[in-house]
Formats: sequence, C-alpha cells, structure tokens
Amino acid sequence: MERYSNGDNAAFAELYDAIAPRLIGYLRKATRDDVAAEDLMQQTFLQIHRARGTFIPGAPVMPWALAVAKRLMIDSARRRNVELGFLVDTSVEDDRIAGGQTDAASTADLLDAHRVEHRVQQRLDAMPESHRTAYRLVKEEGMSLKRAAELLGTTIPAVKLRTHRAYRALRAVLREEGGPL
Amino acid sequence: MSADLKAWVLESVAAEASPTRAAVRRRNILVGLLAVASGLAAFVVFAMFTSQGQLVRLGGEIAPQHDVERSVWLVGMTAGGALAIALTATWLALSRGRSMLGRPRTWLVGAIALTPLALFAWKVVCSLGFGDPMAQWPARPGLRCLSLTMLVAAGPLLAFLAVRRSAPAHPALNGAVIGVACGACAWVPLDLWCPVASVPHLLLGHVLPLGILGGLGALLGQALLSVRSR
Repeated sequence: MERYSNGDNAAFAELYDAIAPRLIGYLRKATRDDVAAEDLMQQTFLQIHRARGTFIPGAPVMPWALAVAKRLMIDSARRRNVELGFLVDTSVEDDRIAGGQTDAASTADLLDAHRVEHRVQQRLDAMPESHRTAYRLVKEEGMSLKRAAELLGTTIPAVKLRTHRAYRALRAVLREEGGPL
Repeated sequence: MSADLKAWVLESVAAEASPTRAAVRRRNILVGLLAVASGLAAFVVFAMFTSQGQLVRLGGEIAPQHDVERSVWLVGMTAGGALAIALTATWLALSRGRSMLGRPRTWLVGAIALTPLALFAWKVVCSLGFGDPMAQWPARPGLRCLSLTMLVAAGPLLAFLAVRRSAPAHPALNGAVIGVACGACAWVPLDLWCPVASVPHLLLGHVLPLGILGGLGALLGQALLSVRSR
C-alpha cells in the first residue's frame, strides 16, 4: 500500500493478492451471496484506490479495507430499498406481448416458452437488485453504459460488471432449459 | 478466487485516475491556504462594514458616560490562548492518528465537548482579572459576533471537509469536530474584534455558533465523508 500510495501503480496487483482472500471471505460470510460479495469487493478496492493518496504511512490496511467494505454493504442495502421503488416492472407488458402471439405459436411451444420465461424471471428476482437494475437498463432498455452509470450513480466498469454477472446467470438458466443462448 | 474477478477489479481501478500522496499533499496545502484566505477576507469585510475597518477593538461606550476598556495584554492573552485551543482542535479534526479509520469515538466526542468549554473558560478566567470587559453591555447581545463567527468559519469548514475527504468510521462525528474546529479558528479574530466578555454575550455570540457549526459539520460530514458506492 505504501508503494501504491506513492504512485507505483504496479503495486496494486500485489495489494489485491494480499488482502482480497480475507476481504472476500468476510463479504461472503456477511452477505451470503457470492455475486453481491464480489461486487462489494470490487467497490471496496475502488474506494481504496481513490483514497490511496491519503494513506497514512505504516497504518494497517486490513482494518481499513474491512471498515470500507462494511460501510459499502450498509450503503448497498439502503440503495437496494430505494431502487426497488425505482425499478420498472416489465412483467405485465411482457405478458401482453406474449398474449398477442398465441395465434401463431403452438400450445406446446408456448407452454415451453412460458416455463423458460418463468425460470428466467425467477433467476432475475433472485439476483441482487443492483445487478438486475443494471441488466434491465443496459440489455432490455438498450441504455448506454455511460447513461446507466450516471443513472445508478456508479462507474462504467461497475455497470459492466453487474450487467455481465446478470447476463451470465441468465445464460446458465437458458442452458439448463435448453433454450437459446 | 476467480482470475476473472481480479481482472475486473484491476480494470476498474485502471479506468479511474486517483491522486497519489504527493498530489494530495499539494492539494491540501492549496486548500489550507484558501481556507485561511477566505476566513481572513470574511473578517476584514465584516470589520469594514461594522467597525469602520477596525480589526482590533479595545473598548466602547456600554451606556451613556460609561466606557469599557480592555488592555492590550488581555487581548493578547485571550487571543493567544484561543489560538492554541483552535490549533489543537484543528489538529484533532484533520489528523487521523496512526489508523486509517481515524480517531476513536471518545476522542471525537471529547473534542466536540471540550473545545467550546475550554475557549469559554479561558475567556472568562482571563477577563475576571480585568473586571471591566465582564460588565453587561445591553446593546450587544451577541448577534453580530454570531454572524462574524459563521461568516469567518464557512470557508474553512468546506475546505477542511475537502481535506478530510472520507471517514469510513463515524463520518458525522468527524464532521462535527471539523465544524467545531472551524468555529474555534473563527474565535481568534472574533476575540480581537469583540471587547465584550459578559457571560450571556459570550454564550450567545461566541459559544452558540460553535454548536451550530458542530451540527452543520455533522450533517455535512454524514453527507460528504461517508463511504458510498458509486
């Protein structure tokens, strides 16, 4: 950390290797959600990166990193509650569109599609709010990463990470169901 | 742990520039100079409008044919003591000890409570020996002193919050200490300017603004110093 705060950017990878295992262990235990824990860990490292110039020489890094992670966890829980009200519910709209297609689709295909849709929806509901919101904004509404980052009050890499994780989770569901990947 | 995650973290960090220690030091010096300049400018402008530019006032007429005088020694003693207390409070507010988490809660609460108390006690104890300044001055309840303190402390408050940047633990308390420290710094020019030392005047015009600044600092600290996801 000492080298990193003095401007040696290459030292960050070493810092990551030194503190990431304990940090992710703490976050996994606290959140009981691997994806959320990884997201929080990324944000913790971003905070450490932003504050590197204020690092006190000789100060222990781990308690600081854990305190930052804990604060981010609290903030994330608060944001989740706000985002819940902000999120647009697209399920009603989707049902209406699906209803218009009944004439063309066979009953079996339709049932199959409904089952896959239901599973996808279940997986979407199960993922952290931050990932779901990022996914809907970027993949469903076609919003740019920059605009989504502004709207969610986060960085472009964070939106990319959340969208990617959500996308990966949904692909896994489709793979299990034998649907389109 | 996945290499994918490490790659994402490294990519996020590389995408965002952050100041190094040398850059932060340079910035803090600049912000500190701006804080001092804004405080002094506010003091001079205030004195120009309220006391014809007189920065140090040694007395005045508290009632018809009743003048109050304070000696230069008293002014030097009270302002010198206030300066020492203000510097101590500023050091407590801006330094974090040897931990990145900052000072413990007891230190912060102690600084918030003891700084106004020490300033008030020092002013009263010094003035007791001289008698005159302790006299009641009905025309000076202390509202101008309150305004002066708030004006002088406003710039340093924002500057000190910018210097502190973030507080992962107790952001509101850290903000409150910064607010009180700014009030203590403003107490020094106020001490030069105000010849009144009656207790009700001191409480309203000199001590109350420290409380207000402490509250304001707590609110701003919670909003600006808290660690938040972005």
